[in-house]
Amino acid sequence: MWYEIFKFELTYRSKRWDTYAYFLILFLYGLIAVDFLFGTHLNTVNSNAPYLIALTMAVVSALFTMITSMIMGVAALRDFDHKMESLMFINPISKLDYLLGRFLGSFVILLFIFGGLMLGLFLGNYMPWRAETSPLDFQVWAYMQPFLFIVLPNLFFGGALFFVGGALSRKLLVVYTQGIVFLTFYLFTLQLSQSADNNFLAGVLDPFCYQTIKVLVKYWTVDIRNVQLIPIVGVVFYNRLLWIALGFLTLVIGYWGFSFNVVRTNRIDNFSRRLIFKRPLKSSIQKINLQKITFTSPTKLNWQAKLIQLQYHSLFYFKSILKEIPFWAIIICATAIIFINSINLGTSFGVNSYPLTYIIVEELQEMTVFFFLMIVVFYSGELVWKERDTNIDALYDSSPIADSINLIAKYFGLLLTYATLLIAIIIAGIAFQTSQGYYHYELDVYFVGFFLSTFVFLALFTALAFFFQTIVNHKFIGHLLIVTFFFLGIISLEILGIDHGLYTFGSGYLGAYSDMNGYGHFLASYGWLTAYWAAFSILLLIIAILFAQRGVETEFKQRWQSSKLRLTKPLIKVGLDALLLFIGLGCFIFYNTNILNRFAYPSTQNSYRAAYEKTLKKYENTPQPKIINVNLKVELYPSERNYVATGYFMLKNESTQPIHKIYVQKKPDDDLDLASVDFSRKAIKDATYEKFGFYSYQLNEPLSIDDSLKMEFKQTYFTKGFTENIDTKIVYNGTFFDNFELPTFGYNPYIELDDEKERIENGLLPKTTTAKRQDSKAVKEHRSGMDSKRINFEIILGTAADQIAIAPGQLQKEWTEHNRHYFHYKMAQPMINFYPIVSAKYQVFNKEWTPQFDSLQHPINLEIYYQKGHEYNLDRMMSSMEKSFDYFTENFGIYPYRQMRIVETPRYLDRAQSFPSMVTYAESMGFIMDIDDTEDVDMPFFITAHELAHQWWGLQVPAANVQGRKMILESLAQYSALMVLKKHYPKEKVQQLLAFERERYLEGNAVDIKHKLPLALEDNQSYVYYSKGALNLYALQEYISEDSVNLALKRFIQDWNIFDGPLQTNRYATTEDLLGYFRAVTPDSMQYVISDLFEKMILFDNKITAGSYEQLVNNQYKVNLKLAANKYEINSLGTETSIDINDWIEIGVYAQDTTETDQLVYTQKHKITSQITDIEILVNQAPSKVGISPFDILIDKNSEDDLIKIEKRIH
Amino acid sequence: MHTLKINNLSKRYSNGVQALKNVSLEIPTGLFGLLGPNGAGKSTLMRILSTLQDADEGSVTFGHLNVLTQKKELRKIIGYLPQSFGLYPKISAEVLLNHLAVLKGWTNKKQRKAIVATLLDKTNLYQDRRKKLGGFSGGMRQRFGIAQALLTNPKLLIVDEPTAGLDPTERNRFHNLLSELAEDTVIILSTHIVEDVKELCTNMAIINQGQVLLQDNPRNAIEQLQGKIYQKEIHKDELADYKEQYVVIAEKLFLGKPIIHILSDHAPQNGFTPIAADLENVYFSQIFGK
Repeated sequence: MWYEIFKFELTYRSKRWDTYAYFLILFLYGLIAVDFLFGTHLNTVNSNAPYLIALTMAVVSALFTMITSMIMGVAALRDFDHKMESLMFINPISKLDYLLGRFLGSFVILLFIFGGLMLGLFLGNYMPWRAETSPLDFQVWAYMQPFLFIVLPNLFFGGALFFVGGALSRKLLVVYTQGIVFLTFYLFTLQLSQSADNNFLAGVLDPFCYQTIKVLVKYWTVDIRNVQLIPIVGVVFYNRLLWIALGFLTLVIGYWGFSFNVVRTNRIDNFSRRLIFKRPLKSSIQKINLQKITFTSPTKLNWQAKLIQLQYHSLFYFKSILKEIPFWAIIICATAIIFINSINLGTSFGVNSYPLTYIIVEELQEMTVFFFLMIVVFYSGELVWKERDTNIDALYDSSPIADSINLIAKYFGLLLTYATLLIAIIIAGIAFQTSQGYYHYELDVYFVGFFLSTFVFLALFTALAFFFQTIVNHKFIGHLLIVTFFFLGIISLEILGIDHGLYTFGSGYLGAYSDMNGYGHFLASYGWLTAYWAAFSILLLIIAILFAQRGVETEFKQRWQSSKLRLTKPLIKVGLDALLLFIGLGCFIFYNTNILNRFAYPSTQNSYRAAYEKTLKKYENTPQPKIINVNLKVELYPSERNYVATGYFMLKNESTQPIHKIYVQKKPDDDLDLASVDFSRKAIKDATYEKFGFYSYQLNEPLSIDDSLKMEFKQTYFTKGFTENIDTKIVYNGTFFDNFELPTFGYNPYIELDDEKERIENGLLPKTTTAKRQDSKAVKEHRSGMDSKRINFEIILGTAADQIAIAPGQLQKEWTEHNRHYFHYKMAQPMINFYPIVSAKYQVFNKEWTPQFDSLQHPINLEIYYQKGHEYNLDRMMSSMEKSFDYFTENFGIYPYRQMRIVETPRYLDRAQSFPSMVTYAESMGFIMDIDDTEDVDMPFFITAHELAHQWWGLQVPAANVQGRKMILESLAQYSALMVLKKHYPKEKVQQLLAFERERYLEGNAVDIKHKLPLALEDNQSYVYYSKGALNLYALQEYISEDSVNLALKRFIQDWNIFDGPLQTNRYATTEDLLGYFRAVTPDSMQYVISDLFEKMILFDNKITAGSYEQLVNNQYKVNLKLAANKYEINSLGTETSIDINDWIEIGVYAQDTTETDQLVYTQKHKITSQITDIEILVNQAPSKVGISPFDILIDKNSEDDLIKIEKRIH
Repeated sequence: MHTLKINNLSKRYSNGVQALKNVSLEIPTGLFGLLGPNGAGKSTLMRILSTLQDADEGSVTFGHLNVLTQKKELRKIIGYLPQSFGLYPKISAEVLLNHLAVLKGWTNKKQRKAIVATLLDKTNLYQDRRKKLGGFSGGMRQRFGIAQALLTNPKLLIVDEPTAGLDPTERNRFHNLLSELAEDTVIILSTHIVEDVKELCTNMAIINQGQVLLQDNPRNAIEQLQGKIYQKEIHKDELADYKEQYVVIAEKLFLGKPIIHILSDHAPQNGFTPIAADLENVYFSQIFGK
């Protein structure tokens, strides 16, 4: 019998066009899915690598859960919807047959629909945009296998859930709500997986297997990724097993709970009915006297009456949503998200931030955007169809209510619902902050974030949804249209880079909130664009009102005709006003974005940059003078977002030939104007390349070798109107830019396109990688101070009266003039040509630091300029400055400047950066980290130490612009900071940090397959120079001692500093030089370590396979271990080969102290020469655990087996 | 008092069904019965009159109002009880009626409360006003339907098959309610139940396949048939023959035996006996007699 029902279901569905519509949607999505989802992260993994296909299938089956719910949810619900249940259930079929037939029938259809995805994915290989990459040989099984193991179980569980939900609740809304709850759970697993400890758990729990695959392939190399199918083992196996089992469980519950009766007894209803009857009815007491009431027609409907109607109805719809259980489920889910998310308030440094309001708001917005999209889609459908779904529409439609009131009331009702939800979320946010012991609730930030941004977004999209629902007059198609519109009309425009605020619906962008700058100047463009789209939405709503079905006429022709009758005067008036407003605002916006300012799509900008390269690259090697003196006056006008810079550069010919032409390069920025350039000797200007801001000055009298001249200039920056660009150099509070803003000399390679794909599109060859260390030209450049070796620096800064403006140098004078605040800075010592200009309303925290034995004969001022309210970590940062200076001056060399300033900058540039005597520190970096000293590494301390170390590494010793440059700059800074940390914090903290870096390294190493390079040859890969750098330099000092490393570094800096380094003459230092200093302090037996750490790529896989101990005498224990050690070398293609081991490896033995915590009681390096080694160790406490490389010095592929418990051997 | 004038009204659905064909009617104050079998076009006509559907051709006026274009004005003075309608199951009669009252323009809270109470009382629902609508019986639902239709204090009341499925008591109660209202209102009652028209209506029309077959007052219509209706008890297998020979307008069973009614201008003999004509004969003679 079930087969008949199954067959019926198949026939029924196969005759419906929506089945094919869904198939088509998935097919089309499948064509672009891989590029759309992973396009930018691919590197050298092929677009048809099996794991990518599997990942795509997983994520698409999650994204299109809506289709699953539409197909499966209605399978059992349809009979109730169509009031067919009586006819259906009276038939002699069993419950099992009915449910099984329906489920399987719909499920087969669902599989067919998702088959479209599989088809699309493999035809996607032949799409034109895939032409350049050479796809791997096509294998059918690579598509079938993930479809069977990923998609099928995903659909099975999802299908079972929605099917049962629909069957038991008999309500579509419940099905949708299930979808939302399901999604929340998915988000939960996403969150869970962000912390490494929970990886496995998250992998098992992810209902779509997406995280699971990621966990599985985490450390896979590219070669494997490109060919290996996802094996159904381990975490993937358990995941699939779990969700298939849960699917069956759901079905069993469904079978159990499903009632074959038409009318169900509802306990709650019975109960409430009883309650009502118990209540005495008042009718007998106050019998209405009919005669008394004048029974006339209702009052004439003036506008006040209409307003009352509108208000009443808005509330009616609002309450009707509030009464539904699904709404409360949504509220609970949405508010629960924040508590789930608390797992990860994290920063990229492995510590949490304080739960600042803007962080909470942004996290919540990000987490809830898809929720809200679903709510918009489904609730607008439900409300537009509310009367017709209940079949009460005839009563409404024949009543004298105005056409507009019903629809607008629904719209307002929905807005009220959103407001409720948002308030609930805000309350949850505040509750979360409170639970974290944070009481600085910024209600204004909550309000702006949720009501000015999210709410407006919802209001606009709801208007759109109403429009679609009324025009197509079909609920499900309306749903699909709005979702499709959202993805195609907005997201894809953005991805294709052809969006403009004037035609990207709801395009206002509020920008990132900064504690320093608030929403800054973003608010204006957001306001205008939002008003523009609001006017458009009003038009949409009016069209919706005109075409909404009233009565039984559904055909568009009929509705078109009756729309003319509905066009009342007020409606025309509002419509015209909205239209005028729309056009007017549109013109105004266009005037601002395209006339006052130049509008360019990314592609136009790219071709400009490509043209620059093609035209002017020829000048790259023409010798140009170098800046030796900088003297500037910069007037900042933060509230207008303008500045005027005047002053001069002294230029010196440091080349080996006379210079005839000076090429002045203005930074290509429309707001920026190089108003005048005057040389101290006669020069003829040639503006042939003006469009590139490239001016050539022919000197009448050439600049001979070592001769110098003065260039005076004036540069202005005027912000005109507003743009959609997010320019944050000069802002209301928190201006921050550096000297790359000012004129440079000669061809400027920074203007070149970097992205390989963009270069090819513009007819350029891909950029060659960083120059080799042997490159005789590149070793003469260091990037940070392109136009100079070192400069003398003096600057006067003017800014708003309430702001402090900062640049490097000793403050000479501070004064107020014309209600503006002026600062005069002068650097007594030379510095590299790299300086920031900063201005904001700052609080200042300062202290003096005097070096040991007062070796400088003067103290150094330590200053922190910070945003009020960001006091949390000032002491940590200050202490780090003092301790870093102690350590660095003692071990590396003197600090050349008189002051050190940490300056907080807005979070637009989320980084800390070191300039001569200054560190700019984004507000989001260290200032708001919430450090729990028992659990966390003191990252503000560490980051500060790292940045201060750059005062030596980078600012005193610039590195040549060749491979390994960042090892000198960043790895040495990491090492230096680690040493300060080691000196002042327990070893466990250092170990914790190293473990964190090891994880980052292994992850980066797995993902980056472009070119595998050893540390000394790193090519701008952050996982190498930060993470591996920290690990390997730490290892080096473990092997050859901290003092030896520091001695090498001291010599290095003596020889190579820019002030008086004897070797720093006509080229900059490379890692080859650095390694020479390391080798000089390393004993012969350890020389291999230098090579292993810096010149090769070595991985270990060590483990202790067995261990036990026996007690020899009192206080003497003998530990026996069996060690399995494997050493691998990775070649440049990423292939690992096992190599012979002949290494000193550290072994640690732990014993429990009185509080039963493990303490290291023995650490010693053992020479390991074979893969299996037996070791005996004597200790004087009863050991509890033994570990290999207890401080994570060696990079071990799998560190979980490095530590084992040992027990007493029984004889 | 207004009169509803329907002139040459036609309506064809997109699937080709001609629901109304040149329908012309003139309906004065009082109860007007629109009698016709299922699918005759009654509901289409009713919906057009209550602004829910558009006609292809023809005109409808009610007083000085053009029913087809001045929908907004018309809606203020009509009451409509659809043939079938749903009610929000989870709210009470009082709340929904109150809600609909706002919809119909009762924005003054005090007045609204009074009118809602009055109508609930008038339709005998006052006792049950707090009951959820999901628990209402068919009769209660119809009474609620009429209560909402009366919210506008209508000049034109359109009730579409209101008594279908009601038990005799409910039906009576409903009839009383309607006849009470008929004093100063144009009420159009569509039905396929002859009894309804007989008991209530001062005027009537018979409609079939979209066309008006007869417009008259019931008494006159019966008068016209007087002496032309004959009946005979026959055998089941003779029916076909009789149908061929006579204009059979009705076949029923009496105590299990088939009885036929025929329409004949002269006495047919052959065992037929003359009977007094009633409205049912009028109805069937119109439907089957032509």
